[in-house]
Amino acid sequence: MKKSFLFISLILSIVSHAQVTKVHLQASGLTCSMCSNAINKALKSLDFIDQVEANVTDYTFELTFRPHADVDFDKIRKKVEGAGFFVSRFVATIHFDPVELKEKVPVTIGNYSLLFVNNKARSLNGLQEVTLLDKGFLTAQEYKRNALAPAAGVYHVRL
Amino acid sequence: MKLLISFLSILLSISACSQELFAQTEPASTRAKGSITFRMDHTLMDEVNTSSINYHMIPELMFGLSKKLMVSGNVFFSNRSEVFRKEGGSFYARYRFLSRDALQKHFRMAGFGRISYNNSDIHQEEINTYGHNTGYEMGIVATQLLRKVALSASAAYAKAMDNGGNNKFLYGRENSRAVNYTLSAGKLMLPKAYTDYRQTNLNLMCEFLGQVNTGSGRSYLDVAPSLQLIFNSQARVDIGYRKEISATLVRTAPNGFFVRLEYNFFNAF
Repeated sequence: MKKSFLFISLILSIVSHAQVTKVHLQASGLTCSMCSNAINKALKSLDFIDQVEANVTDYTFELTFRPHADVDFDKIRKKVEGAGFFVSRFVATIHFDPVELKEKVPVTIGNYSLLFVNNKARSLNGLQEVTLLDKGFLTAQEYKRNALAPAAGVYHVRL
Repeated sequence: MKLLISFLSILLSISACSQELFAQTEPASTRAKGSITFRMDHTLMDEVNTSSINYHMIPELMFGLSKKLMVSGNVFFSNRSEVFRKEGGSFYARYRFLSRDALQKHFRMAGFGRISYNNSDIHQEEINTYGHNTGYEMGIVATQLLRKVALSASAAYAKAMDNGGNNKFLYGRENSRAVNYTLSAGKLMLPKAYTDYRQTNLNLMCEFLGQVNTGSGRSYLDVAPSLQLIFNSQARVDIGYRKEISATLVRTAPNGFFVRLEYNFFNAF
């Protein structure tokens, strides 16, 4: 039932032109600079990433991207996991062309869609920070608490 | 045991940092995917009742195949047969099957195995698949990292076979199996706070390494304190001393120094 609802909502999704400009992520499970460096180096190997600014004090990474690059959130997550750790917070800064947000209707940007959780109808315009709520983008406890059903090509986000 | 408890309490009472890159054992964490590590182990062990020093050199290459699996291969060299020569090698693999990670802490478990070949003469009852015996070993390891302190424990089953070059296992088939157990603690002492990848890290480690022969029931227990430096978040030097606390097993050279040099190449493949 959920799936068919999602399918319908995908058909009904709003298409918007948007560009991911920045990602701020925090990694968990590490306390040493060698581990942090392993993540840093792994992230730098992604071709759409322009720069990685690592903060060794709080294990966060600020990623900026090449102009007009297709930013792949899952590839970023997999790089952190490949280094042996997990993403505990993932915030993307996205530049939206003006778009009207409707309740439970995803917004398609490029190859994937964003489904805004607990959001009333409103308009999106300009730079917005969205926090990803899908498995692997936040702590396991938070993911369980949110209890969101995963769907292919759709990221659950919170403004 | 008293020594262990007092050491742990000292370790936990110093408010600094931790590491789990132990000098004598491996943690449950594996290597970064796509990384290659070159490691060079040296041990200088004092041979009992003689003035000779047994020097073992073990170069090793380690590969992070996936986020959960690492494999490595190494070659054993030693001067035990009067001349310094190659004596064999081993393959090792470790698979992390449990991760409970949170901010600045984790609990992880892994299974590991080693298969070894050695053609040196068998000169001690102790079973050691890392440079002495042909055989295999498999076990599990659990590691808890809590901010700056890391604690790790492992248990493994080891089986010795006849060594190559017609060097038989001398102590009887029934005494060719043993249980190895380890307990390791590490603490990051410096830097007090991270600001940069280029800061040199100083870790203090203390490890307890034991073996019980399942046939004879004879055993040993060693302590191995060590000091570790990590440079540029990429290179590592460990220096330590391994000392027998108690033993009923026949051992040739239980006490001595060890030095490990290691360099990590990230995104190598």
